[in-house]
Amino acid sequence: MTVDILSSIKGAKPSESVNQLFEVIKNAVPTNNNATNNVNPNCVSVNDLREDVVIASSALEKQLIIENFPNQKNGFLVVAKVIEG
Amino acid sequence: MDSQIKKIHQQLVSKQITCTALVQEKLDLLKQNNYNSVNSLLDKFALDLAAKVDAKIANGATIGLLEGIPFGIKDVYMLQGTYATASSDLLRNYKSPYTATAIQKLLDAGAIPLVKENCDSFGHGSSSENTIFGSVKNAINPELVSGGSSGGSAVNVAKEYTVFSIGGDTGGSVRQPAGYNQIYGLKPTYGRISRYGLMAYASSTDCVGPLAKSIEDIRIVLNAISGKDPKDQTSIDSAAISQESIATCPVKTLGYFKNFIENNAIDAEIKFSFLATIEKIKAEGIVVKELDFFQSDLLVATYYTIAMAETASNLSRLDGTNYGNRIEAENLIESYAVTRSENFSEETKRRIVGGNQVLSQGFSDGIYLKGLAVRDQIIENFSKDFEIVDVILSPITPTAPPKIGDSLKDPLAMYLSDAYTVGFSLGQLPTLTVPQGTSTGMQITAAKNNEELILQFANFLKEMI
Repeated sequence: MTVDILSSIKGAKPSESVNQLFEVIKNAVPTNNNATNNVNPNCVSVNDLREDVVIASSALEKQLIIENFPNQKNGFLVVAKVIEG
Repeated sequence: MDSQIKKIHQQLVSKQITCTALVQEKLDLLKQNNYNSVNSLLDKFALDLAAKVDAKIANGATIGLLEGIPFGIKDVYMLQGTYATASSDLLRNYKSPYTATAIQKLLDAGAIPLVKENCDSFGHGSSSENTIFGSVKNAINPELVSGGSSGGSAVNVAKEYTVFSIGGDTGGSVRQPAGYNQIYGLKPTYGRISRYGLMAYASSTDCVGPLAKSIEDIRIVLNAISGKDPKDQTSIDSAAISQESIATCPVKTLGYFKNFIENNAIDAEIKFSFLATIEKIKAEGIVVKELDFFQSDLLVATYYTIAMAETASNLSRLDGTNYGNRIEAENLIESYAVTRSENFSEETKRRIVGGNQVLSQGFSDGIYLKGLAVRDQIIENFSKDFEIVDVILSPITPTAPPKIGDSLKDPLAMYLSDAYTVGFSLGQLPTLTVPQGTSTGMQITAAKNNEELILQFANFLKEMI
């Protein structure tokens, strides 16, 4: 798939400046060239996960979500978060 | 400079000034300023809060240290009901539905937000020129850039339009503009301050960071906004830092990266001043060690590979349906493409496309995964460094701030100008800009969660230089 489709940007093409940076990485020789074996420093322990609870949006939050997308389509608002009308 | 927060607190408590007059004065300064540091003013909101502080003082109630203190917010944070534009066309009319944790903590402490501040769009830039609100001008020389991406925040603090500001640092976006405008700016340890409500650029290095004119104000604000937050699972617990604890400096050994100083890219003046500072530090009895580090171009390439990959993913939600100014087209896919093509800046598009390049099949092994491997080596390198030195001192940029207009002409030069800041971001280390040592300041870095040591050394430097 081409980068314009992947990026959902019409006519997008790779940049010469950015490609020069990528060339540096391509030519690098890390001593541990297998990132998948390494420990992710940001991983969260399963013992430390937050509760999976539904938190209802406040009336003000709902109103602001609707304000951000005032145009209805087929009787529905298309918004970022599921809210009850 | 001494603590502005404490000075204003005293003036409020002793009724030398009213909070309303203070807030109004700062709002007027922000409104009249020619530095393009303001995206939107929160005037009614701020004046309402100021009236409540005045009423409390009039009733003889005790107020907290941050109560009534005016501050600024980089325009990438959520503050419920106010615009959060990321200095972009895509979010030009977007209103925050909720409030970021760091900002909520400041509101809970009684601080008063005055302004959403100009910055590079979505944090994509090192000069605050990639913005729909006009290039932010340097506080010291308005012909030069303010630095970025938190340029508006740095200028507002430097000009004293705000007492402190909350910026965001992904690869140097608090530290570099702090250096360019000669103030303090802290990138804390990754996770020390919750990222909830900060628009994501590169999630693995994004940090919330305060900018202020004194070490003490940095300490006060850092204590107020740090802490584990269930809404950001990468956030961590941390202990508050007391004023007494940073009055003395236990630093015995200091390191600096030889290759940052001994190369052709660094300005002669910055090199000379930095080495002169090193000599002064040695004269104070601190042992100074030259350290080996990765070449600047590899640091920059590693950072941008990872940051572009993450921003391509994070900004995929900005399609006019999940977020942003929707442009209708004949079908949904076309609507996404038109919305993104019309509304993203050239620099943002360049980074999204770069990110999708390195993540796509056939390229990820040779570039993205290799970038992650180099990052792991960088982290390992830092661990070894901090076995032999207490802190690392570095210049912030190899050169003085460029003229407005120059950075946009040469993106590669702009990326390379981040050479001294991005390594510490990849290492997720706490790093403070101090406005001393070179014309663009210096950075003090310590091991993770050791902000206290950084503030101690910053106090030592302030006294020494």
